Amino acid sequence: MSYDCAVSVRVPDSLEELVTGLAADPGCELLAGGTDLMVEINFGRRRPASIMSLSRVTELKGWSEDAATGELVLGGALTYTEMLQPDLAGRLPALAQAARTVGSPQIRNAGTLGGNLATASPAGDTLPVLVALDAVVVVESADGRREVPVGDFVTGAKRTALRPHDVVHSVRVPTRRTRQEFLKVGTRNAMVIAVCSAAVVVDLDSCSVRVALGSVGPVPLRAHEAEELAGEVLDWDAGGVLAGDAHRDGALERFAGLVSAASRPIDDHRSTAAYRRHAVGVCARRALERVAA
Amino acid sequence: MTATQAAPGGVLGQRLLRKEDPALLTGEAQFVADLNVPGALHAVIVRSPVAHARILSVDVSPAMSVPGVVAAFTGKDLEGEWAGPLPCAWPVTPDMKSPAHLPLATDKVCYAGDGVAVVLATSEYAARDGGDAVAVEYDPLPAVVDLDDARSDRVVIHDELGTNTSYVWELTPDQAAVDAAFADAAHTVHGHYVQQRLIPSAIEPRGVLVIPQPFNGEYTLYSATQIPHILKVMLALTVGVPETAIRVIAPAVGGGFGSKLNVYAEEALALALARKMRRPIRWIETRSEATQATIQGRGQIQDIELAADAEGRITAVRVKLLADMGAYLQLVTPGVPLLGAFLYSGVYDVPVYSFSCTSVFTNMTPTDAYRGAGRPEATYAIERVIEDLARAVGVDSAEIRRRNFIKAEQFPYSSAAGLVYDSGAYEQALDRALELSGMDGLRAEQARRRESGDRVQLGIGISSYMEMCGLAPSRVLASLNYTAGGWEAATVRLLPTGKVQVVTGTSPHGQGHETSWSMIVADRLGVGPEDVEVLHSDTAIAPYGLDTYGSRSLSVGGVAVAIATDRVIAKAKAIAAHQLEIAEEDLEFRDGAFTAKGTPERSMPLGAVAFEAFTAHNLPDGLEPNLEASSHFDPPNFTFPFGTHVCVVEVDTETGLVSLRSYTAVDDCGVQVNPLIVEGQVHGGITQGVAQALFEEAVYDEDGNPKTTTLMDYLVPAASELPSYVTDSTVTPSPTNLLGVKGIGEAGTIGSAPAVINAICDALAPLGIHDMAMPATPERVWRSISEARGEEAKGS
Repeated sequence: MSYDCAVSVRVPDSLEELVTGLAADPGCELLAGGTDLMVEINFGRRRPASIMSLSRVTELKGWSEDAATGELVLGGALTYTEMLQPDLAGRLPALAQAARTVGSPQIRNAGTLGGNLATASPAGDTLPVLVALDAVVVVESADGRREVPVGDFVTGAKRTALRPHDVVHSVRVPTRRTRQEFLKVGTRNAMVIAVCSAAVVVDLDSCSVRVALGSVGPVPLRAHEAEELAGEVLDWDAGGVLAGDAHRDGALERFAGLVSAASRPIDDHRSTAAYRRHAVGVCARRALERVAA
Repeated sequence: MTATQAAPGGVLGQRLLRKEDPALLTGEAQFVADLNVPGALHAVIVRSPVAHARILSVDVSPAMSVPGVVAAFTGKDLEGEWAGPLPCAWPVTPDMKSPAHLPLATDKVCYAGDGVAVVLATSEYAARDGGDAVAVEYDPLPAVVDLDDARSDRVVIHDELGTNTSYVWELTPDQAAVDAAFADAAHTVHGHYVQQRLIPSAIEPRGVLVIPQPFNGEYTLYSATQIPHILKVMLALTVGVPETAIRVIAPAVGGGFGSKLNVYAEEALALALARKMRRPIRWIETRSEATQATIQGRGQIQDIELAADAEGRITAVRVKLLADMGAYLQLVTPGVPLLGAFLYSGVYDVPVYSFSCTSVFTNMTPTDAYRGAGRPEATYAIERVIEDLARAVGVDSAEIRRRNFIKAEQFPYSSAAGLVYDSGAYEQALDRALELSGMDGLRAEQARRRESGDRVQLGIGISSYMEMCGLAPSRVLASLNYTAGGWEAATVRLLPTGKVQVVTGTSPHGQGHETSWSMIVADRLGVGPEDVEVLHSDTAIAPYGLDTYGSRSLSVGGVAVAIATDRVIAKAKAIAAHQLEIAEEDLEFRDGAFTAKGTPERSMPLGAVAFEAFTAHNLPDGLEPNLEASSHFDPPNFTFPFGTHVCVVEVDTETGLVSLRSYTAVDDCGVQVNPLIVEGQVHGGITQGVAQALFEEAVYDEDGNPKTTTLMDYLVPAASELPSYVTDSTVTPSPTNLLGVKGIGEAGTIGSAPAVINAICDALAPLGIHDMAMPATPERVWRSISEARGEEAKGS
């Protein structure tokens, strides 16, 4: 073990300086809110030799609407607190719901969307929402820019499509007419890691339902069979609401069962797999009821 | 003695904001970790990562190559430093087995967290890196984490004891009568409850700083402790430094809940290393370290049986307890079950009683006192099992309690277990709590939800409690083999300018003694509370004291303050009479002045008397100068606060989530000095009981590895988990002290856990669910519901 504690910290002022610096030092750790990285460092699990702070890279901050495509462009350094502001929360209510369940106010002020993606924890709260919204991650490097659908971006538990010299530039969310909901089960209301979560998006443009599940697999999972059932059960002519007989014929229970079946949870000290499998079905069913009642 | 009610317009009973708060809220108050001493060496303890192992070797030499590390020692290196083991002050039986317990283990580690080496460095960072560099070889042994397994002696943890059983303690005034009552009973019910281990989680972890004066051989020890006085004596015995050479200061201390009522390895190590290194030594506990190195609470398995007649009147209580001591006996570890031993009959008039406790060692962190210490456990058992009795008899929860309450006119009440309860009005508190909680409307809503098969069911839980606190009459402690008394000391001085100085032997760490003691003195002297200074928690300033724990401070220490104040008044009266040339019996003391009865113009304010006492120019013959008096008050009895709590929960039957909808607490702690402080204690106390019922559990795996070592995993509830409590009180003065006060620091915790679990069981009663283990996590509740409905837990 080395006791040379020197860490180089660079604070680039622009995206260009950031990607150039990354290309020169691809092992460098990127520091945004620090809510994941600093925990690792404090517990001695990671001892990076060099760190680059994103704090002055204005290109990563905030969000905007792409005038050409109408898409929402969420900066990699968008904080959870910003996701909760009315302007954005009104457009992406499920993302705001997910942000609301993260940590404490201090954590929400610091933690970022790009950080949640780059860490790619199975319990990352924004991940199922981004999957259900059909979002695309914009990755920047000295080689140029590329776009990766969120479902392909997260490749495993804490694994992503990011190469060592990449940075999450932004996330593009298609603008469609949707109703959306996110529900999470935690062991406590705040300052916890999700036991399970579910995001449900009713897409009125494509007359389809997307369901994505968090904390019940190594990556956010789509529940395709449940989505198909929901698509059949909703009355699209009436605006994508539950048909009157959906309760009576047990469709909602079947929907919950298909969601549970799509999950691939594990046992850990926060929950058993059995409870996660059950609860994620309840979450998704309630989310569907809320957006399609 | 008769109780003194608060005089109208007096200081007692006012809702004064706490004097302590501005310094605490602005960060001006100094905690141990805030004290920076030039030249201090930072200590880091190398702790065992395994629960049970022989130590094959400890090599500290790699640590010495870490820059900044000054010294590193193994347990063997320091063996010569100890004059005695870490103390256990409560050998509950003559044949109690207690293993040798040195501040660092030498041959064997007995829990994950047991210290094996210490590294000293010029910075905390270097000390931590040095600690990581120490190489220790362990030969793992099977771990004992189950209490029945411990009792079987399959694996004996302490070879020299030959058994894991520390002691068996019994309280059976009349076994034959108990057996007869069970034989004749119309109803018998049995409850089996597990009191899970809890991690005390004070907002400030522990810390210690020792500053030596090497040339005169004296040491000043700052510690985040509840017990500076006891600590001083015990460290003198453990480290072999004369008591006269140790000054202990508890600076601002951020809570304790019993976890700082102890003499810890790190305190002894810091003192011994300051002696050895002739430099200041500083150790600050991290939060995760606190989950292993600081004592834990509860850890009991309870079996309680009630015998009752046909109407449900309890005729006998029989209790068997299996208690988890953890790896070693800390300061009062073995005594905790005894603090509950007398209370398993609760608020009920029970003619015969039997209790026995078997205590065993395990490979887990030692247990010891945690808020309520024995009494929450006892209250939980009786308040849970009486629900079974209500069901057996076919009456509701309130009615079964009414049939069995000790009646107001029965006080002072001699219990079958041998206590004399001072005062109580139990049914009045129940009535008030039911009224405030809106019981009729709740029952109607519950019926509607049951009828409609609502996913969310409503449950209502009652808990009526009493407890014994105000530790304690010294003679009673002697009968329980506790090796200290239970008195408390106070000194009150009038200063020349009329200000007042109070020295107390209590050691507040969040309780607000500076405010409350000021109010007691101000009320009696007719001065303002702001004119009173309260000095505490420094053995050089307050040499006598027995510190703060067991809801003792007000009913013992506060009463000592009142007695000392009255002695000052008596002396002042003699001086005033002399100066006014009037007989003492013709003077009355009112509104801060001595006034001739019937001649109000002949008067002398207390401040003037204080100045005369100070100048001593004109004092009665034979009277010494200055106005100062002390009291060492030994209470004649415990005090017995009581109350009823009503908890209303909503249980989501699909997810198992339990939400508190409302919580109503009616508590009676006798006369209240400051109702705002009483409510604060009730709020915090309820929350800690709710925490046990719903959230908290120190989890160990089968190898003894602790699994809840951060606050992400150990679920201390936050404000968003809790409703706004409705609190109210009745006032039944204690006749055992001149203030009429009882303790309130633990009452909320003692009353609350059974109210929550009773509410959950009430919500789920239609499913046939009548018990729920703590903590009642969503998963646990969901599993119970699934089993009751005959469903497999899906997908398991």
